[in-house]
Amino acid sequence: MTGLGNTRLCGPADLERMRQELLSRRVPSAKSVHVCTGPGCAAKGSPKLYELFCAAVSQAGADVQVQAKAVGCHGLCEYGPIVLVQPGDIFYQRVEEPDVAEIFRETVLGGRLVEHLLYENPATGQKADTVDKIPFYKVQKRIALAYNGLIDPTSIEDYIAAGGYTALPKVLNGMGSEQIIEEVERAGLRGRGGGGFPTARKWRSCRQAQGSPKYVICNGDEGDPGAFMDRAIMEGNPHSVIEGMLIGAYAIGSSQGYIYVRNEYPLSVERLKQAIEQARELGLLGQNILGSSFAFDIRINRGGGAFVCGESTALMASLEGRPGEPRAKYIHTVESGLHGKPTNLNNVETWANVPAIINRGGEWFASIGTEKSKGTKVFSLVGKVVNSGLVEVPMGITLRQIIEQIGGGIRDGKHFKAVQTGGPSGGCIPAEHLDARVDFDELTKLGSMMGSGGMIVMDEDTCMVKVARYFIEFLQKESCGKCTPCREGLAQMLHILNRITAGEAEVGDVEELGVLAELLEGTALCALGKTAANPVISTIRYFRDEYDAHILDRHCPAKECRGLFRYEIDPEACKACGICMKNCPEDAITGEKKVPHVINQEKCTLCGTCWEKCPFTAVLKV
Amino acid sequence: MPTVTIDGCKVEVEKDATILDAAKKAGIWIPTLCYHPAVSSDASCRLCMVELDRGDWRQLVTSCNYPVRRDIVVYVSSERAQRARRGVMELLLARAPESQELKVLAERMGVTETRYPKVTESQRNCILCGLCVQVCDEIIGQAAISFAGRGVDRTVAAPFRQPSEDCIGCGACAAVCPVGTIKVRIYQDQQEVEISPFKSRAKLLVCQQCGAPVVSVPVSEQVLDKVEMNREEFRERLRLCPRCRQLQTAAQLGAIMVQKK
Repeated sequence: MTGLGNTRLCGPADLERMRQELLSRRVPSAKSVHVCTGPGCAAKGSPKLYELFCAAVSQAGADVQVQAKAVGCHGLCEYGPIVLVQPGDIFYQRVEEPDVAEIFRETVLGGRLVEHLLYENPATGQKADTVDKIPFYKVQKRIALAYNGLIDPTSIEDYIAAGGYTALPKVLNGMGSEQIIEEVERAGLRGRGGGGFPTARKWRSCRQAQGSPKYVICNGDEGDPGAFMDRAIMEGNPHSVIEGMLIGAYAIGSSQGYIYVRNEYPLSVERLKQAIEQARELGLLGQNILGSSFAFDIRINRGGGAFVCGESTALMASLEGRPGEPRAKYIHTVESGLHGKPTNLNNVETWANVPAIINRGGEWFASIGTEKSKGTKVFSLVGKVVNSGLVEVPMGITLRQIIEQIGGGIRDGKHFKAVQTGGPSGGCIPAEHLDARVDFDELTKLGSMMGSGGMIVMDEDTCMVKVARYFIEFLQKESCGKCTPCREGLAQMLHILNRITAGEAEVGDVEELGVLAELLEGTALCALGKTAANPVISTIRYFRDEYDAHILDRHCPAKECRGLFRYEIDPEACKACGICMKNCPEDAITGEKKVPHVINQEKCTLCGTCWEKCPFTAVLKV
Repeated sequence: MPTVTIDGCKVEVEKDATILDAAKKAGIWIPTLCYHPAVSSDASCRLCMVELDRGDWRQLVTSCNYPVRRDIVVYVSSERAQRARRGVMELLLARAPESQELKVLAERMGVTETRYPKVTESQRNCILCGLCVQVCDEIIGQAAISFAGRGVDRTVAAPFRQPSEDCIGCGACAAVCPVGTIKVRIYQDQQEVEISPFKSRAKLLVCQQCGAPVVSVPVSEQVLDKVEMNREEFRERLRLCPRCRQLQTAAQLGAIMVQKK
């Protein structure tokens, strides 16, 4: 692609020469079409759009300076597929195949906007032609995702030209191990995988630990329902992870790294594989990296579909070829991890932050965020929010800003009820705490946690008991079954929650859940079990009235739990069309022409067919 | 040597000894199920929880594998530690309500009943402590059984849940099972031993005198490779059961005595 021959770079000067060479070939007036091929846009057919743009480029002839680029996740998945035209940052949303020719003709060749593909603010009706005018992007700050949407993730040249691999020569050129660790310490970087452990402290412990070889691991086993932060980084900018690992390995004194990716992310595996090969070719991985004495290489391991393998000791067991089950961490993995050797494991996002910290300094990074949570955090914002997608925000931003400003508020004019953060082991935060700041300690105080960055927004129609039940069921299925409290305790919790949502609970069941929650937190072997009760504890804490309604009144206030609400026909709204009557499988609805219909509650089996079929929304849940 | 203070009682232990070792030295009982001195500690049953003093807070830790590296203070009989252990025991009782061994241990801990219903399946009261799996792997070296399935579906089984070809019928798994789930069954007429519930079978060497089972054939062959004695002599010894061998020796001695007279 570059014609540079991809020769081995023998020193930082070679790398810099390559970068200059790449930049000098760029024609400033050249246009480029960036097609988002992140998971959301790809699902909506963006790879086909990319092909069509490529075809258009090749047909345009040699005298037209234009290129098409498939880029990583741009974030606003709700409005995908997203296409950007550069220069100018022109943002087109919900692009379909027939639009390709129009964009190419009008914008690329003609320099005019295609009005109907521009983003329109649903609140104001205003159109936005560039990225920075879209409210979704306004309060975001991108460090880990900085190059996402800009570079072609399959091209190391693109990463280098954009300023990638500038942190590596900096550390090789005279930064000592301790100096690197101090820089990361100054940055105040904490683990983005969920625990929030200070990264520098982990690195230092591993560096000082006795034993050799030492390993560094990148945890890409992202398993939380609804989460795709790490995936977006691995697929959108794999070299940032590799560069971060190189710097960490150099500081720690490791020459072997592993990236553990879940098998359900085949594209992540492919992108990383390709990136590793490219880096090896240029001498950025392997022996004598950039002509120095530093040697480091990375292997990829694919997970086997177990959620618990995101836990560090289970991940290491899996890497060793044993069943992915956690073990006690009384002796830390930095001392005795993979194969019993000192091992430093960090999450994808943590690694991706490292090059920026080295390049721009720890102080710069620490200037963003709150007192104890520095930098930014990537969240996958999903659920009943208008703009679902991938967002990166500075720490300390409020939940309200994320949900209302970035997320555009709740869908269909409904009311906000709760936001679930931290993945299955996180908690639900209610409206009264929407002004809480997003930082590791604040979220923990509220009974939730930062976790790896899942953020599920729920509206008034969501039953919080059912939400708790959903997460407990998920965790119960994903529990490895090794330790008693997690295996048996979660089964018991699910049993109680099943009874509550079925209207068969007894007074005292909530207290029983509390007893089990305390037991799990205190006695489970790993973090999965210790935090598993969080969804239950937090929903009891904030939504106790919903539990009581299920138990005492046999009523589901959100009208989600079947059997705990009735269907009734609103006589005012009923047009007596007879559709409900015809569709009712139990003949439980009676009525005549021009007379509002009535549901016989004795006969009704609560199947909900009438509610679905009524064209006048006259069937109500009460 | 670091000092461990357990419920106010001070004991010195070697560095990296466990809290359980210290408690034993101090004569303080901590209930255990998945712990066995012959194998490594997996700490999976969570029954041996104690409270560790962390200065401004106390942490529940498993005593069977917590390594003592400096002076520490632990509480075995604190309210929280007892509540944790009893809670775990109640969960186990719900899983394996028929196990007499478990009931006895529970009673010793002051647990007479469980508040929980039986919601998980178990293979004849198996509590999944894993001692059988560990002893078969770490001590016998056969690894004929291991865990299969995940979460509530976890079981101990031979590969593909079929009778194992690697099982040598030694019965070590049955010997370490704390709840009497694993049994050694002798099928006299077929001259076979079966390890239940895995249905793994092995041929038996039987006493040439009385027909009583002596040892399984694969065990005798393994031992033959390991003992330092005349192979023929060893084979000869295995011909008889211990009782018949005693009788034979007595008879030989008797004959010698008669001759001497």
